[in-house]
Amino acid sequence: MTSPVGIRGDRPGVVPRISRDDLVPILVLGVLYYAAARLGLRLAIVEDNITPLWPPTGLALVAFLRYGWRLWPGVAIAAFLVNLPITNVPAAVLTAAGNTLAPILAAWLLERAGFRQQIDRVRDVVALVGLGALLSMTISATIGSIALVLSSRIALDEFWGAWTVWWAGDAMGILVVAPFLLCVLTWNQVEPKLGLRRLPEALVMLALLIGASVFAMWNTGQLLFLLPPLVGWIAWRFQLRGAAPAVLLVSTVAAWAASRMVGWFADLSLTEKMLTLQLFNATIAFTAFFLSALVSERTRARERLQRAADDLEGRVRQRTSQLVEANEHLGHEITERRDAETKLRRSEHELAEAQDLARLGRWEWDLGSGTVTWSDDLFRIHGYAPGAFPMTFEKAVELVPEEDRQRIERNLAAALAMRRREVPDIEYRIVRPDGELRALLGRARMFFDDAGSPVRMLGVVQDVTERVDYDRQHRIAETLQRALLPQDLPMVDGLALAARYLPAEVGFKAGGDWYDVIPLVGGRVGLVIGDVAGHGLEAASVMGQLRMAVRAYALEGHRPADVVAHADSVIRVVAPDEIATMTYVEVDPASGAVRFVGAGHPPPIAIDAEGARYLELPKQPPIGVAAGWAYEEFVVDVERGAKVVLYTDGLIDRRDIALEEGLERLLAAAGRDPGRPVEAVCRELITALVPGEAADDIAILAMERLRVREAFRFRMPAEPAELARMRRALGGWLRGVGVEPEDTNDLVLACAEACSNAIRHAYGPGAGTVDIEAHRDDGAVEVVVRDFGRWRQRRGQDGGRGLALIEALAPSMRIERSERGTVVTMRRTLRGAVSV
Amino acid sequence: MTEHPNVTIAADDGVVVASLSGEIDLSNAAEITDALLVGVPNEALGLVIDLSEVSYIDSAGVRMLAELDHRLGWRAQALRVVAPEESRSRRVLEIAGLERVLSLDTTVEAARTSVQDPSEEPELPDG
Repeated sequence: MTSPVGIRGDRPGVVPRISRDDLVPILVLGVLYYAAARLGLRLAIVEDNITPLWPPTGLALVAFLRYGWRLWPGVAIAAFLVNLPITNVPAAVLTAAGNTLAPILAAWLLERAGFRQQIDRVRDVVALVGLGALLSMTISATIGSIALVLSSRIALDEFWGAWTVWWAGDAMGILVVAPFLLCVLTWNQVEPKLGLRRLPEALVMLALLIGASVFAMWNTGQLLFLLPPLVGWIAWRFQLRGAAPAVLLVSTVAAWAASRMVGWFADLSLTEKMLTLQLFNATIAFTAFFLSALVSERTRARERLQRAADDLEGRVRQRTSQLVEANEHLGHEITERRDAETKLRRSEHELAEAQDLARLGRWEWDLGSGTVTWSDDLFRIHGYAPGAFPMTFEKAVELVPEEDRQRIERNLAAALAMRRREVPDIEYRIVRPDGELRALLGRARMFFDDAGSPVRMLGVVQDVTERVDYDRQHRIAETLQRALLPQDLPMVDGLALAARYLPAEVGFKAGGDWYDVIPLVGGRVGLVIGDVAGHGLEAASVMGQLRMAVRAYALEGHRPADVVAHADSVIRVVAPDEIATMTYVEVDPASGAVRFVGAGHPPPIAIDAEGARYLELPKQPPIGVAAGWAYEEFVVDVERGAKVVLYTDGLIDRRDIALEEGLERLLAAAGRDPGRPVEAVCRELITALVPGEAADDIAILAMERLRVREAFRFRMPAEPAELARMRRALGGWLRGVGVEPEDTNDLVLACAEACSNAIRHAYGPGAGTVDIEAHRDDGAVEVVVRDFGRWRQRRGQDGGRGLALIEALAPSMRIERSERGTVVTMRRTLRGAVSV
Repeated sequence: MTEHPNVTIAADDGVVVASLSGEIDLSNAAEITDALLVGVPNEALGLVIDLSEVSYIDSAGVRMLAELDHRLGWRAQALRVVAPEESRSRRVLEIAGLERVLSLDTTVEAARTSVQDPSEEPELPDG
């Protein structure tokens, strides 16, 4: 861990270079060291240099820790000067070397151990005591004691005694002084900051501590036990910033008392005195620092926990607000759509009125004099102020583009030639002075004199630009959408699929709905239903891009949730202002596992033998709403014979009924006759829920997980030569599912007739396919023949022969023709008895 | 085209007997029609089409028979169709309502006789 307090970069093993800038710090350090040493010697118990507390080592260690050990000359020189008066020169040099090396070693070891100068972790306390004090100070003690022996200040057998005292004194210097200095130096780098309001508490404690230590020292020692709890209390309240001064104070008082032989130290022997004092100081220091570090650690842990909790809470709040926002957005969107619809309806109405009233211009042409009179409104329609210029026929047609002018003249010439009173209506364009093209509808009437010559024409002109634009837009959007939707559904083993798309009949509403079926690897298939908010060309084009994107991601093999998440990213890019609801479904026909991912879309319907129900998927926002939303999947096991129906809200969201009621009606309609095939489900849902014109787009995609054995699926090229193969395949399947020969023959014949009709009428030569599906339920077989072409010839005499045959063979035949192709559904109740 | 794999033609006493076999559907009806028309010379009294060996026939075949009847009618030639009782072909022709338009026989001999001597044939089958 990097200490927040920078230790200026002296790397271990690299001898730092001393620069000129270091001279002042070295000098200051030397002076301080010398002063601290003199102070320490005042506490000496024996001789003049055996002292229980040697403050300079603590000072040196802190200097090296904070400013780097290139300041060593200050320590060395000061130590030499301190020792010189007490011993000879070589011994003083030796001692100074020891006194310098020991703190250097201590600083180096502490740095290696990741020591933090705030001493706010238990490991810092342990490092300081073990590495800084106990271990490193063996250097100075050993060298110092050798110097004493060499200079004959002590005898050889006194070596260990001197060593012990020296070592203990230096260690205490580290333990008592270094934390105090570090605490002062890092005072403002520690959280929490201590404000002035804690000053009274600090002063009270300081007074208490001074009182207690002095009292304890001078009172024969029995009251010494008062001190540890007091120091502990201070450490607990103020951590290092209380503990370090307290330890310094108590230790100094104790050492001073011991050296002055006062109080309870008075009666003790030298050894006892040393031992007691050292143990007492060590205990106080260790306890205080340990406690303060422990409290700091706990405080930090609590803060981290608090921060984590705050963070979590913040994230929950953010998510919630995103959800709320998504909801509001959705609600807003729905309201907006409703409003827009209402407005559109109103403006349609108003437009019609305006055209009927104001936008109707009137003109009169006197053929004799050639004068033309325009009404004020007609000038306005043409973009001029009323009466802006005198009117003539030539002038009037000048405003019309060339090709339309010719049509008008031809129209007029024809009317004149045929002497008809009513001139046929004509739609033409004009160019306004500002260059704008407007579409006009002209109606005129010719008047003749008694001799039958034309004398006068009266006409009205209506501005129909909006209506023309509107029709065109509607047509384009619808065409675009049809082009963007799948032309035919793929055949998927184990599934029957059916889909319907019903464009809105009115307004600009065609556009945003889509469905898709995407065959995936392993027999699985992706089903998509979606609805881009909004309508018209914009929505249709976004829909097209989304459909392709979903297709691509699904085919790449992404998980369903990721497919939707990718679609979310895509809509952000292609249409940042749009949102879309969608449901993506991945079906495994073999296992029946169906994985749903809903994105703000109405719930899918599941239909089984017991009826229909909504699958309540987890509520998730539409795509384009909540960036980075982690979409989730919802897995349902679908039994064989069960169905899933996806749809867009056009099916339920009708102006005349509430949404809940729409949902109820849909469920009721879906639950009717649960055994019917998916084609029938699609068809009957539309019949039941959309009795009139569709006000909004509607897309339905229905799937049934087939009872595999009982389903027949066959896709044939639309070629007469393929019919025989189809007949054999269907015949074989029918016999295989136990259908009697006569029923088999009739069904094959009926199916072949339907296929022949498809081949004859739906396609040009060599184009397209015909799909045949058949399944058997209890007493009947249903055969569905589907083509994807446009019938060029309506039911005529030829086709009629085939249809008559089918009707005779399968009386409940039904034909649905749409722009997407024709579906012929034939159902035949089986006789169940052997026949010819 | 004079020959067709599904058609065997034999002419005898002014009556052409065409035995059809196999399956008749949209894929071959037009070709069979051509083969039959070519196989009936202008001087022939009529055509007998024997469907006894036909395993499948549908509206394409029905259409073919109706067209042949029409075309031969222009040449004042008779058309008789042989479809045994209870046969698949018979059922299809009946369902299609062709028995009201065409003359159906159950054997080639009966048909041939009817072509050679139309007077012996009752005007309409009794209802």
